[in-house]
Parts: sequence; C-alpha cells; structure tokens
Amino acid sequence: MTETRRPPAWAEAILRVSLERADRESVSGDLLEAYRDSIVPERGEAAADIWYVRQVAGYLWRATFIWALLFSGAFVARTAYDWFVPTTDFYARSAFTTYFAAGVWFLAGAWAAWRSGSFFAGPVVTAVTTLVAALFSVTGASVLLAIWHDPGTLDAAAGSGGLGEVYSLPFMAIVPALVIGTVAGAVGSVGSLLWRRPSGLRSQG
Amino acid sequence: MADVLGAFEQAVLLAIVRLGEDAYGRAILKEVETRLARDVAPGAVHATLERLERKRLLASRLGGGTPVRAGRARRYYRLQPAGVRALNDARAAIETMWHGLRWPLKGRA
Repeated sequence: MTETRRPPAWAEAILRVSLERADRESVSGDLLEAYRDSIVPERGEAAADIWYVRQVAGYLWRATFIWALLFSGAFVARTAYDWFVPTTDFYARSAFTTYFAAGVWFLAGAWAAWRSGSFFAGPVVTAVTTLVAALFSVTGASVLLAIWHDPGTLDAAAGSGGLGEVYSLPFMAIVPALVIGTVAGAVGSVGSLLWRRPSGLRSQG
Repeated sequence: MADVLGAFEQAVLLAIVRLGEDAYGRAILKEVETRLARDVAPGAVHATLERLERKRLLASRLGGGTPVRAGRARRYYRLQPAGVRALNDARAAIETMWHGLRWPLKGRA
C-alpha cells in the first residue's frame, strides 16, 4: 500500500512549479521516495502528508524569499520615509513604489515561470511572494512603530494614510500581484520555450 | 586554494564519495542523516547539491526511475577534481587547526 500512497495532489503541483525544470523529476521523485519509503511507515499517513507539505513550503520559501525581502524592504523604507520626511504631495513617492512593486512581482513571476517552464509558476510564486512580503512588511512597520511612536511621528503616519493602510495594504496587494504574476507567467513560460537548454541537462556527468 | 567548504557541504560531498555509483538525491539524504544522526530536510540537501554543482565541485546526470518514485528520474552525482581538492583542503585545514591539541578538549565550555 505504501508504494502507491500519494501525497496531497495540490502540494505536488505546487512543488513542481517551484522547481527548476531540470530538477522537477529528480527532486519530486526523491521526495516521493522518502515519503513512501520512510515517512509513511514511520509516522502514518496524516503525519506524512504534513511532512510533505512542510517540505514543499521549504522549496517555495527558497523560490520566493529574495523577492519578498525586496518588496517588503521597499515598503518599510517608503513607510519610514513618509513618517520621517512628511509631505502633502505623495504622487512621486507613490509612483516610485507602485512601479517598484510591479517590477518585483513581474520579475518574480517571470523568473519562476522561466526556470520551471510552467505558466502556473508565475501566479503561484507571485502570490506567495506577496503573502510572505506582507508578513515581513507588517513586522518591519511594527518595529518602526515600536521604536518611534512619539506624537510627531504618529501625526506623520496619520497624514500619510494612517496605520490602517500600513497594516492592510501589503495584504491587499495580492490582487494586483496575481494579475501581474499571470502576465509574467505567460512571458516567462514562453521565454522558457524559446531560450532554454533541454530539460535534464545541467552539467556533464 | 580550492573553495572553502562548510560542514554541511563536506557531509554531502563525503556521502557522495561513500555512495559511489549510487549517489542520487534520496540516497545522499539518507547517508547524511545517518552520519549526522539527525533529520535533515531534503530541500537543504538539494540546495547544497545545486550550489556545489554550480561551483563545479560536482557533476550530475539523470538516470532511470523506480516504481516507488512513480518512475521519476534519479539525478546521480559524482565528484569533480575540484570537489576532491576542496575536500582534501578542508580536511587538511581542520588537521592543521587541531595540531598539538588533545581531543576531546577538557574543561568547561
């Protein structure tokens, strides 16, 4: 029975889009072998499924955390800039951060789709990047607030959209991120078809 | 001077040396877990293998699958000359640092 037991299909699908195309078969095969050979017999089916999902989360983390750091770094820097250098004209600042965020989402999605050869990697990696970035951003903003919460800074925060915006905007960004990630997925997967070495070739063995 | 290897990189490379022709991802993971006597995330081993291959300390090729893997290919690894040099340098560096000291060290940490 163990030899035919399968981990959750959705987790397998996410794993496959978060891997480089050359590694898709070998890495997902290694995980499946470990799951069937060791984890299911030792821990039981439910715990083995949890183990598998945790491993997939690890691969997804490696595919997204750099982009999430970039996005959240820009968000926290913009928040700090608005608080410490207040203004009434936010046009230039907003334009910069909007284009920067769109650029990060596009690159994250296109890169993921290009390396995996899968269109779905674009929206999946962009969405996860945005969620991870939202957690980083909210944490960063909270640290700023914990250090600087004098009346002047709180007034500046209120004048730049308020704390509600600081804590909700990173999560609301998931909608435009998904749209851009979908476009990036199409661009990256087409690029992968046109300019990519054959699947499986990585070095000369 | 070859690449300076971290402890986990050495564990992965030595597992490949021990496994010889059978050095593929899952077998390397099991060997590293056995030698280090702890659970190791497959992702950590795969990331290390990819990094070592990028540094040209390893080379890989795809091989056949098995039913337990649902027929998915195995990726077999073998050391390149630069990998052998890096392991030898790592061993020599540790021996030089320990030279003249008695092991295990005595006294409070």
